[in-house]
Amino acid sequence: MTTMDGAAHAPTHTPLRPAPLLPEAGAAGTPLTVVIAVLAFMASVALAGYFMVSRAVDNWTGDLSGSVTVQIKASTAPEIDQDMAMAVQILSTTPGIADVTALDRTDAEALLEPWLGKDNLGPDIPIPGLITASVTPELRQDLTALRDRLAEAAPGASLDDHSLWNDRLVGAARQGQAVAFVVFIMVLGASGAVIIFATRAGLAANRDIVEVMHLVGATDRFIADQVQRRYLSLGLRGGGIGAVCAAITLFIVASFDGESQGLFLPNLSADPTMLVWLLVVPALLCAVASLTARFTVLRALKENM
Amino acid sequence: MTPYPTPPMAGAQPPKIVDLQNVQLTYDGDAQVLRNANMVMREGDFRFLTGASGAGKTSLLKLIYLAHQATSGRVALFGQDIGALPPDHLPTLRRRIGVVFQEFRLLDHLTAFENVALPMRVMGHKEGAYRNDVIDLLKWVGLSHRIDARPPALSGGEKQRVALARAIVSKPDLILADEPTGNVDPEMGAKIMQLLIELNKLGTAVIVATHDLGLVRALKQKILRLKEGEVTLHQPLADIVDSAERPPL
Repeated sequence: MTTMDGAAHAPTHTPLRPAPLLPEAGAAGTPLTVVIAVLAFMASVALAGYFMVSRAVDNWTGDLSGSVTVQIKASTAPEIDQDMAMAVQILSTTPGIADVTALDRTDAEALLEPWLGKDNLGPDIPIPGLITASVTPELRQDLTALRDRLAEAAPGASLDDHSLWNDRLVGAARQGQAVAFVVFIMVLGASGAVIIFATRAGLAANRDIVEVMHLVGATDRFIADQVQRRYLSLGLRGGGIGAVCAAITLFIVASFDGESQGLFLPNLSADPTMLVWLLVVPALLCAVASLTARFTVLRALKENM
Repeated sequence: MTPYPTPPMAGAQPPKIVDLQNVQLTYDGDAQVLRNANMVMREGDFRFLTGASGAGKTSLLKLIYLAHQATSGRVALFGQDIGALPPDHLPTLRRRIGVVFQEFRLLDHLTAFENVALPMRVMGHKEGAYRNDVIDLLKWVGLSHRIDARPPALSGGEKQRVALARAIVSKPDLILADEPTGNVDPEMGAKIMQLLIELNKLGTAVIVATHDLGLVRALKQKILRLKEGEVTLHQPLADIVDSAERPPL
């Protein structure tokens, strides 16, 4: 066959990498990447919060659940000393109890000094005695026998296994974790909603292109593949940016040590394993973005085209 | 002028490519476009589709390239009843039809090469498999120097040739061209028609919708005339030009 212009032209260079069939600009461009990045940041912070609280609670409860405290209350100092000695003896000879440490009067006075001042406690004033000891998990399951022995031998002694404080603390922490998890899920849901909106807007804006693709034989799946690829890349980009920003923020926050500032706050430390969890966020957003876009396209094409 | 291939003898007719039976097409809330359309196209046929503006030429073509669904009647393409086919079978049929749209419908963000390659991509071919074919085709339509140009940078004639190359790149069994010479100068129009004739000689069925009486007369092909929603088949215009049977175009 002859050419239409009758001339032979040397073909110019055409890149081998196929161009995207849907234009890069539009709703699925930079603004949407920013929105996804912000959502990824929020999801990352919520997820990190969930695990940080979990870790802090484990640390607290681990310390508390592995120990018991015996408090000695009596009307006179000699009675307290006597009960202290009996309690120490019982604790020291009880299997499953170790590291028995009795707080002597000097230590107790030192503890009270910030409130009562130095040398303001006369020798006759009774100061409750304290004994701490570590306890095995097996023994902690049932402390009734130990409690009875202490009550019999040292009437002023009361055994505290911290369970009340522990349960309240764990309850509060679990509520915090639940809130963090709900926030995380809601952010994922919001991401899905944003993607649905953007996908539908993109389809409407590119209706002519989609129609031409249909008319040259494209299946709905092929078109959905094109859109899905676009949103996968968008989810990866936006999710990555958001997660990196969240990681930086969290490590700055984690560098603030509440305990060292004299506050009764746990040290919500971040550790390297948290970085692994932060990688989950862009991965999840990629999955949410690409799958949402795919199903939105398939549904829209079925409904309207 | 290239003579139209002699039709096969009766009894050994080529298979039907397009078969419309009592087809009606009505747009929502609008007048009836096709009232009782009947037509048959066979492999290797060449037909001009004529009719006054608004007669429904483009609508008839859209019906054939499956952009519209008939309101009633039977539409069969390549022996398959469209009404009985599940929607996910339509792309397979569309791939056997090349369409040159009146308004080109090129994708502005793609180069000439990528526009022509579009049907191959949607069929799932890798670029290595069609790259040389697309370049050869662009060379054939005289656009080898415009391979990387995007449609906004192309002239009307160049766009028309890219659209033509896109329509034929996948070697379709049927080409539908809607006013392919309407937006180009007469010389370019003649070249485009020559290309369509050459493709027809290679066995591809072609329908050209046109207003151009000179073109219809010059190429001496059978005519499908669309009037008042009905399609009638007429002999080549040049043979009956002085006859009382001449169809008013």
